[in-house]
Amino acid sequence: MLINNEFNEEKIQSPLQYTWSIFKRNSLAITAMWGSLILILITLFADYIVPYAPSTQYVKHLLLPPYWVEGGNSAHILGTDDLGRDSLARLIQGIQLTLGGALAITIAVSILGSVIGATAALTKGLKASILHHLLDALLIIPTLLTALILIVMFGPSYENSLIAVSLSLLPQFIRGIYISIENELNKQYIISLRLDGATNVRLLRFGIFPNILEPIITLLNRIFTMAILEISTLGFLGFGTQFLDVELGALIASSIVLIYSSPWLVFFPGLAIFIIILVFNIFTEGLRHAVIEGEDL
Amino acid sequence: MLNYLFRRLNLLFITAFILSVIAFILTYWSSKNTLADADAGYIIQYVKYMSAILQGEWGLSSIDQQPMLIKGLTAFASTLELCFIAFITANIIAIPLGIFAGLNRNSLLDYLIMTIALIGLALPVFWLAVITTMLPRLLGIPLPIDGGISPVFEIPVVSGFILLDTLLAADTYQLDAFFNRLAHLILPSSVLSLFLITEIIRLTRHSITMVMKSNYVKAAYAKGLSRKEIVFRHVLKNALPPIIHQLRLQLSTIISFAMVIEIVFSLQGSGVWLLSSIKEGDYLALPTAILIISGFILLSSIFIDILLMIISPIKRKSLYVD
Repeated sequence: MLINNEFNEEKIQSPLQYTWSIFKRNSLAITAMWGSLILILITLFADYIVPYAPSTQYVKHLLLPPYWVEGGNSAHILGTDDLGRDSLARLIQGIQLTLGGALAITIAVSILGSVIGATAALTKGLKASILHHLLDALLIIPTLLTALILIVMFGPSYENSLIAVSLSLLPQFIRGIYISIENELNKQYIISLRLDGATNVRLLRFGIFPNILEPIITLLNRIFTMAILEISTLGFLGFGTQFLDVELGALIASSIVLIYSSPWLVFFPGLAIFIIILVFNIFTEGLRHAVIEGEDL
Repeated sequence: MLNYLFRRLNLLFITAFILSVIAFILTYWSSKNTLADADAGYIIQYVKYMSAILQGEWGLSSIDQQPMLIKGLTAFASTLELCFIAFITANIIAIPLGIFAGLNRNSLLDYLIMTIALIGLALPVFWLAVITTMLPRLLGIPLPIDGGISPVFEIPVVSGFILLDTLLAADTYQLDAFFNRLAHLILPSSVLSLFLITEIIRLTRHSITMVMKSNYVKAAYAKGLSRKEIVFRHVLKNALPPIIHQLRLQLSTIISFAMVIEIVFSLQGSGVWLLSSIKEGDYLALPTAILIISGFILLSSIFIDILLMIISPIKRKSLYVD
């Protein structure tokens, strides 16, 4: 037996363990990872952690500032809006709708996009061309217009805004996946795998996938960031959530008239979007670095 | 090269066809009761619709009975003006920063530049626009925050680009109208350019890094060229095509954000036009906007593709269009 059990550091790590051990060294990325986890937990359990029901109106406390400002009330930590609804509760609900929607879009787009992109890259000729350019028309219609089309035809709703955002992000993802698979396909080791008689699925799983992890992470990060920005933009314009449920963009739009009397109402939702994007970007950037460690950073 | 061009034009026609079908469906849907011969088949109606579009009869707005085509083009010209100014500002600021960050990877300055770029990406555009509308009042800068141009000036619409129109109307107002328009554009275009700056910095840095890693740069070092010579002779030229290519894909996002900024600043343009038309129930504005805006994006993509083909030899050999 040549394996040495005496010294831990001489054990050969699996690629996953190796990536994790590199990732662990980056304390900023670890912080961001916990931050993302907390945000996801907030999204999942928002209904249980909100201090008050987001739509309850406390008529005695209208337009309260946050409690650390003169005139604030510690019962409403981030203050209340013009109808006396608790800002923190509404903010948490907003995070749930925006972040939850963005995560759902990212998952749906990545699954659908990978399937279409991989099929397009691995087949040849007309079929590949059709698959690859299937959604090109969507690429040139700005998200805002896609959303407007859906809304005019089916009425404004949160689901329609999510569909509009996914439709505009899907072609970008397909294109990204297609290009990165295409780049790998021309390399020698893929040809040798092919000569060994590997099927396309096997080729994808063991040949291509481990080598395109880094572009995939970048793409996912990109899709997620744009999803957050676009969902909240549509919400801001009033095409997203309706009536009582409000996501972060709609929250900003609803308090825009109060910007001088109570700037907090505009400030906090924007800050929430900012923090969400920042935390997830630092996390994925750390992950990307860990994956490509060993190559030139 | 001819093959590539052929494929590109092929794609142009297919995409244009899909676009026109979408526009047709929308028009048909929004005016299903007013069409003359509703009994005729879809294909015949589509052909009729297309011939009307090609003859420039895009229908009338139900709000003020103005021709849709003129309204749409005027509004979009204003949006383009905003995009154009923001784009130029962003390029002037971002490309040097990106090149600098790419050449000095993992230095302190690189981290600083990338942090700024990350913060710029994370700030939602519409929120930044709302905050920016507060700035003149908070800081006491005398900059206008709403409208496209002061209503004092009556500028005849010639080209739709208000900056040009004000110059053409210079007889009446000298340059006052021009500077007034410019002042109205400063805040919106700086908000838009912040988003563009972060994009361009990211793309430039990535592209420069990729080129610096390539073998021909190593060969150039081995040949004994100085770093400065390498950067100016080899790196910049080869880093440019990927940046242009990526920016092309971002075109629709940029126009989308420009429309949102226009709505916040109530700047006359396609964003305000579309929003108000839809609120008034003038749904014909939607297919018009799709044909104009997406048509513009489509044509400029083709133009950029051909430009890329001219400036980068690798593209000429590629068979598939991506």
